Amino acid sequence: MRRHSRRIFNICYRFTGNRTESQDLSQDVFLRVYRTLGSYRSAHGGFATWMTSVTRNLLIDHYRRTKRDRVTDSLDDKMPVVENKESAGRRPDEQALLGELSGQVQSALTRLSPELREAVILRDLQQLEYSEIQQVLAVPEGTVKSRINRGRIELARILQQMGVRPS
Amino acid sequence: MNWTCEQTEARLSDYLDGLLQPVEQSAFNRHVNTCEKCAPLVAGVARALGGLYALEPVEVPAELEDAILTATLGAPSWRNLRRWLKGLQSPRFVYSMASVAATLVIILTASGFSLRKPKLADLAPATIFSKTNSKAHRFYAQSVKFVSDLRVVYEIQTRLSENEQNPGTREQPAPQNSPDKQPGRTDNTNPSAPKQQNRADEIGRSLRILAAQFPVLSGSSGERRMP
Repeated sequence: MRRHSRRIFNICYRFTGNRTESQDLSQDVFLRVYRTLGSYRSAHGGFATWMTSVTRNLLIDHYRRTKRDRVTDSLDDKMPVVENKESAGRRPDEQALLGELSGQVQSALTRLSPELREAVILRDLQQLEYSEIQQVLAVPEGTVKSRINRGRIELARILQQMGVRPS
Repeated sequence: MNWTCEQTEARLSDYLDGLLQPVEQSAFNRHVNTCEKCAPLVAGVARALGGLYALEPVEVPAELEDAILTATLGAPSWRNLRRWLKGLQSPRFVYSMASVAATLVIILTASGFSLRKPKLADLAPATIFSKTNSKAHRFYAQSVKFVSDLRVVYEIQTRLSENEQNPGTREQPAPQNSPDKQPGRTDNTNPSAPKQQNRADEIGRSLRILAAQFPVLSGSSGERRMP
């Protein structure tokens, strides 16, 4: 359980950028997994992939519920305000733990649109294969590749707008 | 091979993942090296990817695991009870309890404790000791009697076989203090067991009558049928 909780919490944190929300969401994921364990079929993929699907669905539900994410959905004109929000939402020890680039990347991630964000997180942070991402997102492989590509480019643009220059 | 800016953007992930064909790779490189728009794009995406890969896994809050267990399995007290009950299902515990129960049943049975009409007084140590002592003595006496009976039967069989083999010596008394005396065989040297000798004589007589009436049961029936 420790291994799964660590993985799920990391996915939630990279998606929301907030520890408290991530903890609540991780708890909800395990609760849903516990209640719907009977619906799991090994033929539909590994248990970890199934858990990731449950996590993704809960994250999307959470995104739709929260107004803050609706505001941050716009990528171009809300940058400084959102950055201040992120800084204000974190504890000082969290802020200290984040390196400069890591903090900027995390901030940029939370400004990606949810569909691009989840694709980038699953591919570049969770190191899932395209076929596994296809199962989690329930979209064709071409769409998965396209979202990952667009997500990376969008992330680079956001980082550039934040002042992070290519070395 | 011509390469456009749109192609660069569309195939950027393939380039970064090393999935381009050699021809495409060289065309991509030629275009990026000469295009002012695509060069910073590729460098920026590579930088973003480097930043993503450099992200360390976030430490999980210490209370998360407990919160998950509480949400799924209930409060800690209930979890402990469940864990304890689950431990009772282990084969080792079941075997141990079965052996303990069997030992208790044996001890209670030996002490004369009635499971149908249990009394608290029967569980007193003095009662258990006296009943167990009595039962043990009774068991010893029964065992001695059983062994004695076996000796009598063995003696009868021996005497019968001797009589059948040597009919002339049937009524001869056993030699006094014979050195090759069979174990358990009675003779006149043991005046302390007259009842046993009488009983052996009675059984011996009965067996001889039976052997005469039913020669088939006797081992020498084949010889008797001979004229």
